[in-house]
Amino acid sequence: MPESQPRSQIILVVGGGISGITTALEVAETGYDVVILEKAPTLGGRVAQLNRYFPKLCHPTCGLEINFQRIRKNPHVTVFTMSTVAAIHGERGDYTVTVRRTPRYVKPHCTACGDCARVAEMKVQNPFDYGLGDMTAAYLPHEMAFPMRYVIAPQLIGTHEAENVKAACKYNAIDLEEKESTFDLHVGAIVWATGWQPYDATRISPYRYAYLKDVITNVEMERLAANNGPTHGQILCPSNGEFPKNVALVQCAGSRDHNHLPYCSRICCLASMKHAAYLREQYADVRVDIYYIDIRAHDKLEAFYRKIVNDPQVRMIKSKPAEIRIGTAGEPVVCGENTLTRHIYSNSYDLVVLATGMQPSYSMNESLVNLKTDDYGFIVPDADKNGIFSAGVAAGPLDVSMSVQSATAAALKAIQAVI
Amino acid sequence: MTYISPRSTRKYDLSFARWVHRHINGGDRLAMCMQCGVCSGSCPLGTTMDNGPRKTFMMIRAGMKDDVLQSDTLWNCVSCYNCVVRCPRDVPVAYILHELATVAVREGYVQAKRSATNKFVKGFTWSYKTFGRTDERLVSMFYYFQDGLASGFKKLLAFRHIALGFLKVGRLPFGMPHSLRHRRELRKILAAAAAIEAQPAKGGR
Repeated sequence: MPESQPRSQIILVVGGGISGITTALEVAETGYDVVILEKAPTLGGRVAQLNRYFPKLCHPTCGLEINFQRIRKNPHVTVFTMSTVAAIHGERGDYTVTVRRTPRYVKPHCTACGDCARVAEMKVQNPFDYGLGDMTAAYLPHEMAFPMRYVIAPQLIGTHEAENVKAACKYNAIDLEEKESTFDLHVGAIVWATGWQPYDATRISPYRYAYLKDVITNVEMERLAANNGPTHGQILCPSNGEFPKNVALVQCAGSRDHNHLPYCSRICCLASMKHAAYLREQYADVRVDIYYIDIRAHDKLEAFYRKIVNDPQVRMIKSKPAEIRIGTAGEPVVCGENTLTRHIYSNSYDLVVLATGMQPSYSMNESLVNLKTDDYGFIVPDADKNGIFSAGVAAGPLDVSMSVQSATAAALKAIQAVI
Repeated sequence: MTYISPRSTRKYDLSFARWVHRHINGGDRLAMCMQCGVCSGSCPLGTTMDNGPRKTFMMIRAGMKDDVLQSDTLWNCVSCYNCVVRCPRDVPVAYILHELATVAVREGYVQAKRSATNKFVKGFTWSYKTFGRTDERLVSMFYYFQDGLASGFKKLLAFRHIALGFLKVGRLPFGMPHSLRHRRELRKILAAAAAIEAQPAKGGR
């Protein structure tokens, strides 16, 4: 039982990925008011960047569309994009949250016609494709962006070109004068659903990710396989744009490793199984080798694992590769010991995909808010801040379906804090 | 370290695994080994070793004392430390192999005595104990002639091209070996070190 009546019954959700959206909707659909803060210009987070989910291989756009509809129709949900938490004061039932908004330079009446993008010439790296491709400095984050509004990259501001872009908008929706602003929110409970970042593969120096173009990470593989990705859904070798014939999927790249991430990220095994499925769908004769320490396909995911393993063109090699060398033709050569046969191998490939793990965004970024975390940086319950909860990958490495369960649990806890 | 590891009575004897866990520096980390194969895969001599570090560790955990201490894996390590740096479980791979090599010699395993590395190390130790420095010429001679004159000359002949090459570029000096000025002090230090080593270890790191 609460000692006193909460001053505010609004619930704040930090992060607009699948966990944040689910938390917010679960809260809103019980009748409580909820505010979503999202750092990026659009909701959807990492899920929007995926090509498909395992194990059913359905498209995440489908689930996101349903959720965006639910947000649109629910009067209890308020969304602030390009916003971060600058400070939290107060206690359970009575928090004052200072929000910092970075400028989008595009006003809400943007119709997403795309005229600004057509005249913009400056190219910036596309974070949606993990830097695999470029985009114009006036852009729509992706086709399913929510809110459906263009964004002007801050690099464009102050250049001569910015005026052209502004003039191109026939709705006069571009405001180049927009400045960073802060405002306060009064809320009763806060749910952190800040998600994750892929582990920086350049830090795994023996795998030469920085030197070999054909060594990519699993998140980049998702973009290569996605229709709205840099290659329009065709998986091609980044070095020469050709079809890969021999592909290696390297598990635990920087995971379960005391030099990198000491924990298991839980999703990478199945994500690689899914990548094997992508490759086999696109290329009938492609050969896929999966290098693994042990495959962690928990509970119902075992069936998907069996399906992939029984494919005659997929070879399972029980080994954590020691090194990826640069071959004579500049191709990646995976070297190590097969621990079942004790054979020391060095195999050349057209494409190597590193299954990198998930790192909690909260601990990766300089945060102005001090929350209690476990040894790995995931947010854990804090007795002193008992109105603050965590959901999804901010709380621990989870796949999408488990994140949604975690988000629903967090919604329930948050409601109990403001009741 | 005066410990002699437990005498094995059968092929698989876990008392040896426990002994390594307790008395070898870093042996306790072996419990963390997940058999990923990075050590053996990183090893520049991985293809020439009979077992390689990963399998050796599994054999230790299975208590295969004789097989471990007779293995050439202990002697083929070139101390590049790739395995130590890359091990995802912080197992000090190379250090454990070195210490096991010492154990194999101390317990009189023939394979250890016959090992070329062991013979070379003997020459090396003799040189620094006598002169306080290692003199490459004397170390090589010590190494070559350990098995008798005939085999010594045979080895010398086999390496003559290298020796001549060194001579040509002035890397093979003549004259007396370099020597430490205070050899008596060095001997005291070595004696003190031996005394420390002879004390019963507390086990573990």
